Amino acid sequence: MIETLSRSGYLLVKIKIKEANLDVSDQFKTELINLIDQGETNLMVSFSDVAYVDSSFLGALVSVLKYAMAKQGSVSVVDLNKDIKNLFTLIRMNKVFKVYNTEQDVFA
Amino acid sequence: MSDKFKKILLLDDEGFILQVISKALGREGFECMVASSVVQAIDILQQETPDIILSDYQMPIINGFDFRKIVLRDKRWRTIPFVFFTSVNDPEHIQTGLDMQVVDYIHKDTPIPMVVSKINNIIGTIKRQHEKSIQEIRTAAEALNLRSVPAQIPVIEGYNLRFLYQSFEDCPGGDFIDFIQIDGKYTFAVLGDVMGKKWGAWFFSFNFLSYIRSAIRLCVFDGDFSTASILQKINRVIVPDPVLGDVLSTLSLLMIEHETGKVHYSGAGDLPLVWYKAVQNECFSVESSGLLLGVLPDGQYDEKIINLQTGDQLIVVSDGLIDSETPDGKKSDYDLFFKKMNTVLGKKESFDLIKNVTFSTENSKEFVDDCSLIFIERK
Repeated sequence: MIETLSRSGYLLVKIKIKEANLDVSDQFKTELINLIDQGETNLMVSFSDVAYVDSSFLGALVSVLKYAMAKQGSVSVVDLNKDIKNLFTLIRMNKVFKVYNTEQDVFA
Repeated sequence: MSDKFKKILLLDDEGFILQVISKALGREGFECMVASSVVQAIDILQQETPDIILSDYQMPIINGFDFRKIVLRDKRWRTIPFVFFTSVNDPEHIQTGLDMQVVDYIHKDTPIPMVVSKINNIIGTIKRQHEKSIQEIRTAAEALNLRSVPAQIPVIEGYNLRFLYQSFEDCPGGDFIDFIQIDGKYTFAVLGDVMGKKWGAWFFSFNFLSYIRSAIRLCVFDGDFSTASILQKINRVIVPDPVLGDVLSTLSLLMIEHETGKVHYSGAGDLPLVWYKAVQNECFSVESSGLLLGVLPDGQYDEKIINLQTGDQLIVVSDGLIDSETPDGKKSDYDLFFKKMNTVLGKKESFDLIKNVTFSTENSKEFVDDCSLIFIERK
């Protein structure tokens, strides 16, 4: 469900599904928590393949963030489509997560 | 058969078999997803959740038994009913297959109409069991008097206060609504949405409601009528809660001052309210700044004052109302929702229009989550 790519200072986690919903939220949370437990405390989650995200999945993402923060880590998000980006802004998830338009913006 | 329970994943390395079976099941109203290898079947499962899997045994590289083991290992897939459809008829082999928690083992020599009947029977049984389970939970909830929406709407002189709630696929979800009246002078309106879906979210809604009801009563008792302050206190309790702190919820908290028409509003990760101002004959959105309940100790809650004038209307909604199923897949679109509300608000019968149009049986089919709405009108 996810693909990981090592970067300097963080791990890029690509979500490889179109619909990020309740069916996959638990597994997503478990896989990311495992990564944090393995020492990957700075994660950047890429939504490049995701067309729709539901509240269950957002809940899982926030849980992962809280878990990372407890270990002095961070979770940021990148490559959100227009609808998902609007949703993040509407429900103030953009205040909780650092949102990047593209991965290049991290170094800008 | 209803639209639910009709997706089948067919796995067979013989293209002809796939074609014949999918055609026969397609005629019966089933949606068939076909795979000619286990790798292909897993690719499909990553994207879609079928209601039943029909799998061959003899296939190159990975056989049907190994596929079954893969399915059983994954908690997303292990509960999907699994049927072996194979030409192997050795009793020992059949027994091995049946021992792998499969619902049936159908021989390929079975006439096609009989295969279709068997599939129909299996799916019919699952559907009846599903309905029975829901009914049992519903009966238990009613017996315990558990309600996530109020049984009655409070009456406030000079106001029209209403609400709508639509469950998703006949299961209650994480949405909750409540009204709390204080001394006949103030009414608190509460609308929240526990992150999650169906029963999992529904169970938590009562815990959130308990905290919210207690916080409102305790704050008011101490003379604190600030919605932002109440919200911050609720959040402060939820963040360290070992269960709810990991569940998260949105919340729109409003306090109506009956006499003045002032509505105090604070929100936690909620959607903007829609305010129809009669004087301008126009709708405006009212945004709050607070974070979802349970995310961070400082929820950054602000308090907006909405001065409701005669003829003004205000609606509060859960996110189910901005999500819909479109030909291109699921979509969240608040702007579209706002435009729709713009056409129905400001009318004498606005609430009935929302009820009969937005929440109509036909439109409800597009919902992908439970949906809630509170309607406040100053007469």
